[in-house]
Amino acid sequence: MIKWLRMYRLLIAASIRSRMEYRFNFWFSTLMAVIINVVEFLMLAVILLKFGHIKGWTMEECGYLYAVLTLSKAIYRTAASDVHHLEKYLVGGDLDALLLRPIPILLALMSQNFQLKAGELIQGTAILTICMGVMIRQGQMTWTAIPLTMVVIMSGAVLLFAIGLLTATAGFWILRIEELQNITEDAARTAAQYPMSIYPNWLQWLLIGGIPVAFANYLPSLYIVRQQMDWWIIPLSCAVAFLVLGAALAAWRVGISRYQSTGS
Amino acid sequence: MIQVTDLQKQFKTLRKKEGAAGGLRTLLSRDYQVKEAVGGISFAIEPGEFVGYIGPNGAGKSTTIKMLAGILHPTSGTVSICGMSPHRERRRVTRRLGVLFGQRTGLWWDLPVKDSYDILAAMYGQDNRVKETRLAQLSELLALGEFIDTPVRKLSLGQRMRADIAAALLHDPDILFLDEPTIGLDMIAKRSIRNFLKQINCELGKTILLTTHDMDDIEQLCKRVMVINHGKLGFDGSIDRLRSRIGLPTKIRVCYASQVPPCGSLPDTRLQLISQEGRTLTISCNREELSAMEALRLLEQLGIIEDVHMEEPDFEDIVHQIY
Amino acid sequence: MLFLVLARKTYARNLQYRSAHLVHNIASALFGFIYVSIWMGIGENRPLGEYGLTGIVSYVAFNQASLWVAAFLTNGLGMEQSVRTGQIALDLMRPVHLFYHLMCKEWGQIAYQFVYKFLPIYALYFFVLPLHVPSSWQTFFWTAAALSLAAYITICLNYLIGALALWTTESRWLYWVNYAFSMLLSGFLIPIEWLPKTLADISRSSFYPYLHYIPTRIYLGMEDRSALIGAVCWCAAFTFLCLAATGFMRRKVEVQGG
Repeated sequence: MIKWLRMYRLLIAASIRSRMEYRFNFWFSTLMAVIINVVEFLMLAVILLKFGHIKGWTMEECGYLYAVLTLSKAIYRTAASDVHHLEKYLVGGDLDALLLRPIPILLALMSQNFQLKAGELIQGTAILTICMGVMIRQGQMTWTAIPLTMVVIMSGAVLLFAIGLLTATAGFWILRIEELQNITEDAARTAAQYPMSIYPNWLQWLLIGGIPVAFANYLPSLYIVRQQMDWWIIPLSCAVAFLVLGAALAAWRVGISRYQSTGS
Repeated sequence: MIQVTDLQKQFKTLRKKEGAAGGLRTLLSRDYQVKEAVGGISFAIEPGEFVGYIGPNGAGKSTTIKMLAGILHPTSGTVSICGMSPHRERRRVTRRLGVLFGQRTGLWWDLPVKDSYDILAAMYGQDNRVKETRLAQLSELLALGEFIDTPVRKLSLGQRMRADIAAALLHDPDILFLDEPTIGLDMIAKRSIRNFLKQINCELGKTILLTTHDMDDIEQLCKRVMVINHGKLGFDGSIDRLRSRIGLPTKIRVCYASQVPPCGSLPDTRLQLISQEGRTLTISCNREELSAMEALRLLEQLGIIEDVHMEEPDFEDIVHQIY
Repeated sequence: MLFLVLARKTYARNLQYRSAHLVHNIASALFGFIYVSIWMGIGENRPLGEYGLTGIVSYVAFNQASLWVAAFLTNGLGMEQSVRTGQIALDLMRPVHLFYHLMCKEWGQIAYQFVYKFLPIYALYFFVLPLHVPSSWQTFFWTAAALSLAAYITICLNYLIGALALWTTESRWLYWVNYAFSMLLSGFLIPIEWLPKTLADISRSSFYPYLHYIPTRIYLGMEDRSALIGAVCWCAAFTFLCLAATGFMRRKVEVQGG
């Protein structure tokens, strides 16, 4: 385990050095990512400024949901960037080169094309700090919420990673996964940015039982922010995250054995 | 060293559904199209051998190599590399193997060549001293010095190929798989790569399996040749036996000054008529039995020759001859 | 006619991926559904101005469908790629003006997306949402005109974004920044009059409202055709900008020697 972590660090370092060969692009893309994220949050903020709340969820509470999810996603995409881009490897046959190395494939894939999601990390932290600050001052939550939130963010990152890996693994069967990712990663995550009580029942259940992003932020926050649930939702969320991760890893192993490379 | 028994690989592809809901139906359907890439081949390679593995495009060469290297899992049959199965013990087998795909680099594209070696050494758990001596040795053999600090993307194709060969040899594997190591190189670069490979085989004693489209590679390097076509081994033996089996089929196109009579019979049985168009005859002969000069002398008996065109044996044709 | 040939080629090329695109529509429809849900949550016990709950639902749903005509075009009209491969030098030398050439191709893309993305999503919303449908054919006509002008503005925008790739090599990010701004300033999710004053002012002085806000309000019968004069002016200005940009590109490519 320690050995693989050291290997991972080494590969990430190499990946960063590669990226720094194109320094301008690196800073340019980071800046652009910040702008995109700010604008995205602004849309939600504008609505809440105008109307006060959505189904009883205030600005701070919505901001909390949004920030927790943004941070989880940023961690997942930073730590495992090219898992999301497996399609490129499958279609182009680039997985061959990774399979020739004496390290686990997933580790090799996770360390390729490392991207520090600095924009998301900064923005997520800022919004989270502001929202939690307000809520602690208003007595809506106590200081214990801080370590709990960190646990939730990490468990959310694991969950998003697991969902991403599971979707990517489908690529071993269906090759083209972009459309699928659009549903399981993009649409599902966008849905989880908002308080789920606004959705009709079928969609709520889909986000709990089908693509369980609800466990990444909404359900835990029902305990941390709104005290509508008991403490057990936190360990349950972590358990769900690791359960999905286990399933994803098992599927991944089967998928790898089905890898077809490209003809030639 | 390498033992392959009844190796088989079938590719299943989903049949695409057309029409409005095609995408969804393709996702759900179980309607496979099965294509056999490798259909039950067996062979064994002993330590120190230099084996050429040839065949036309799509014959199953790369698929075989990929199964030997643990990239693809065979549908049936077994592969054993130094007594281990490459798909069950992939990571252990990669330590005994050096693999080079000529069309792709295994190096880090944007980093200096040296950095790639550092990373690879770390992956194989080589300590620094071992790595440096090894690198010095390879650097001398492959003349890496001139470009070791250059990013891979800036290397010429010949340099990149040398750098990749060194990468494949860095962890001191016993076996080398080379998939088209001379592809796209000019004559000089090809010659130098061949020299390196010869040394690697003779002096370092590595077992090498080489696939190529270049007959010169085979003739100059390999003592043993295996030919694959349509997923089956058509020939496995020494280069001399291969030559005697197919000879050197050559096509000669002769254009005569005046109309030649339609000739059902050529002046010699060693010449075969392929086609006749006006004043032009296309003839095939085997240069093992009949030298080019001799063939022309025979053909001159039919009339005054104005123009001659000779075609060297085509690789695809040679392989077809084996069947 | 060159226009038709190029447009038809792009349309036909897309047809091959039709089935994948239809799967993609599920995701797109889902996104729209999320936005509709937000407004339903807000409008539960509040009046929503001149729109009302059904009005705002129709507003957001129609915007989501029209994304495929007025916003989601080929990133930089594919120029980023042709810069990377060097194809751009060849394209600039063709007897047809680069802008005209790429624009024709993109109209084929838009036609395809109208048939295989806009219409399916629109039809879905028609059945599952209380979607407002205009009663007069004139409204349909002016909505189509407004969407066409919106599409033209977006083509020009993407042309300019793509042209920048000649200097920055990567234009993907600009595409997304433009998209993000357009989400906020075009009234895609929030009608412009409900934006905070500064944002509303910025929006009104830009071309963004003509991408979503104006077409959709025409569709809902809240605006008449005179609103399109502004769109036509912006189209003219953008055409001029694109032609000027091509001049700069020519010079840049000549300096680089192709």
